[in-house]
Amino acid sequence: MNTNETHVTQENKMKRRWGMAIDLDKCTGCGQCSIACAQENNLPIFEDDSDQPKRVAYLELMKVTNDRDAKYPNVEVTFIPKMCQQCEGNDPSNPKPPCVSVCPVVATDVGDDGVVSQVWSRCIGCRYCQVSCPYEARAFNWWKPRHEGSFKKSLNSDVSVMSRGTIVKCTFCSHIWKRERDKAVAQGITDINAVLYTPTCASSCPTGAIVFGDLNDPDSEVSKLSKDKRAFRLVHTIDEKPEDEKKRLMKLKDYPNPKVYYLSSRQWVRDMMRFK
Amino acid sequence: MNTLVKSVIDFIVETYNSYSKSMQIFFIFLAVNIFLFMVFAIQILFWGLGYTDMNNIFAMGVWIIGDLGLVSLGGGAFFTGFFLYMLRVDKLEPIINSTVLIGFMCYLFTFVFLVFDIGQPLRAWFGYAYPNWGTHLMPQSMLTEVVFCLTFYFCVLCVELIPVVLRHKIIDAIPAFHYIGHYLHRLMWIMAAAGTFLSFFHQGSLGGGMWDVLYGKPGWFRAHHQFFFMAIVAATAGGTSFMTLCPYIAGKVMKKEVAPMETFQTLAKISGAMFIFYTTFRIYDVYTMAAKYVPSFDRNYLDIWGGYYGIWMLVFEFAACFTAIAMLNIKKFRDQEKFMVIGISSGVAAIIMSKLYVVLHGFSIPNFPWKSFAAYNPTIQEWFITTGGLCCMIAIYMIMAKWFRLFPHLDKHEHHAE
Repeated sequence: MNTNETHVTQENKMKRRWGMAIDLDKCTGCGQCSIACAQENNLPIFEDDSDQPKRVAYLELMKVTNDRDAKYPNVEVTFIPKMCQQCEGNDPSNPKPPCVSVCPVVATDVGDDGVVSQVWSRCIGCRYCQVSCPYEARAFNWWKPRHEGSFKKSLNSDVSVMSRGTIVKCTFCSHIWKRERDKAVAQGITDINAVLYTPTCASSCPTGAIVFGDLNDPDSEVSKLSKDKRAFRLVHTIDEKPEDEKKRLMKLKDYPNPKVYYLSSRQWVRDMMRFK
Repeated sequence: MNTLVKSVIDFIVETYNSYSKSMQIFFIFLAVNIFLFMVFAIQILFWGLGYTDMNNIFAMGVWIIGDLGLVSLGGGAFFTGFFLYMLRVDKLEPIINSTVLIGFMCYLFTFVFLVFDIGQPLRAWFGYAYPNWGTHLMPQSMLTEVVFCLTFYFCVLCVELIPVVLRHKIIDAIPAFHYIGHYLHRLMWIMAAAGTFLSFFHQGSLGGGMWDVLYGKPGWFRAHHQFFFMAIVAATAGGTSFMTLCPYIAGKVMKKEVAPMETFQTLAKISGAMFIFYTTFRIYDVYTMAAKYVPSFDRNYLDIWGGYYGIWMLVFEFAACFTAIAMLNIKKFRDQEKFMVIGISSGVAAIIMSKLYVVLHGFSIPNFPWKSFAAYNPTIQEWFITTGGLCCMIAIYMIMAKWFRLFPHLDKHEHHAE
């Protein structure tokens, strides 16, 4: 055992709660986040990736318009980068994402930093977690993942290559956090909370639309953005209910309570999040 | 070796020729389906689920519908066994062997379909090795409960089936097997009790609990395991109808009285009574879904019915339930064979429709307001693996009816199966 891997004590207990804020007003829909994600996480490339329902992607760039029948100049478009929303359930101190409790083989779990993991060498491919996910964030390898030609040379050695018949998903690039942690340990820093990192989608965004950080830290940018008046969460309208109604509903059932926040000043985008 | 192969082929040809033209055509139909089942099984197991129409939105399909239907209808085995061995309704004795065999096959093919359905069949044992247990003895994942209860109950059904096999006239002539069969039969009430206990859990978990815990999905979520208990009642109602229907059809095909009409009517009456409970429960379920659970997702109950899988599914299910209630509970109808058959067929149809509703309707509901209802169109591989599996079950049932003591009532009348 590495001497640096000390027992978890109160001091080095994980206090971070990773979250993300995506400013849709800044997003141009360039797709750089999606490409960077695919490259970083060794996502396979298929002959026909337009077969969207079977595509293996962690980050889907959803194109939404204000009105499908609208014509220029009344048409407005926004792009919503959608990855795993890292749900918490009603009680963030005891996270209960919809997908974790359903897995029959504990192939998915939620860490003490709130990140929902997925171990594809454990996954049996029952797809029950995919069924439970309200954000369609999980992808199944319907075909054998292939990395043709020179793509093999660019595979990331920090991420295991996925196999056919397993579920995969965004883990907020937790391998980057592990890499940063190892670097810190090599420098003699053993405080787990001293390690910060940025997932590849956030670091690759050319407009800075994606911000990543610790939601537990009130001074972090992501924490501030999550409380911004422009902030909302994907199809999660319980936030807008009066306090009494909110309490009543949360007694009735769990709500996903995702840790990915979206920001937009356009009312029609916010309206889009509600079922009519 | 060649002589053995030749004699087997001669036996098959001779048996085939001894049947009527219509039966021969049916045998060819079975053989084609089973052959294509094997061909497509190889394709799916070796090259993956890409050949199905399932996708990241419609993550489960016809095999899960088959699993839900088979377990629910096969659940009639535990309920019939419970009535015969625990409540001593001796009138059910003539069809108990058939019931046990159908239950065994339903559970066996549930496993078969599950093997195709999971992406990593070679890791299927992970379900036993790394179960997702919660606190105490309660499994965290409904699928963990399904895996364990299905396995245990399947073991119970295997033990229940042994006496049926041992009663074959050649095997029964060996004293050791005769006594084993005899004493196993005497101990069958223990199996029936264990089967009832286990079946209650997995009927509830696979049929209902597996879906009602999905708190992010408006088509499935119900609090307090309401759907769990409803699935148990559904299995007792539809399963008993199915256990009446199968031997009835067998009798018609064999042109023999495989069981007295009183036996069919007794089981049909039990089914009819259970359908009253089921329909009442279902009405309450629809009411709570419409008034409480679907609105908690900011959705309207009628709005989540759309696409190909509209409200007609619910209307059909209730029509079939009410038909079963009328035909099976009113003595005047139940005593008339054709009405009884309409009743039990409606009962089976109602339960199949309820399983179609769970999967097709549940998956079709869009998760985002800007998306439309999803649709699912099974591929040829999915169809033939499903129909081939069902044809295997029919073939096993026919073999057991012809060469084993599936219907003891035939012996009493010194008849032999065709």
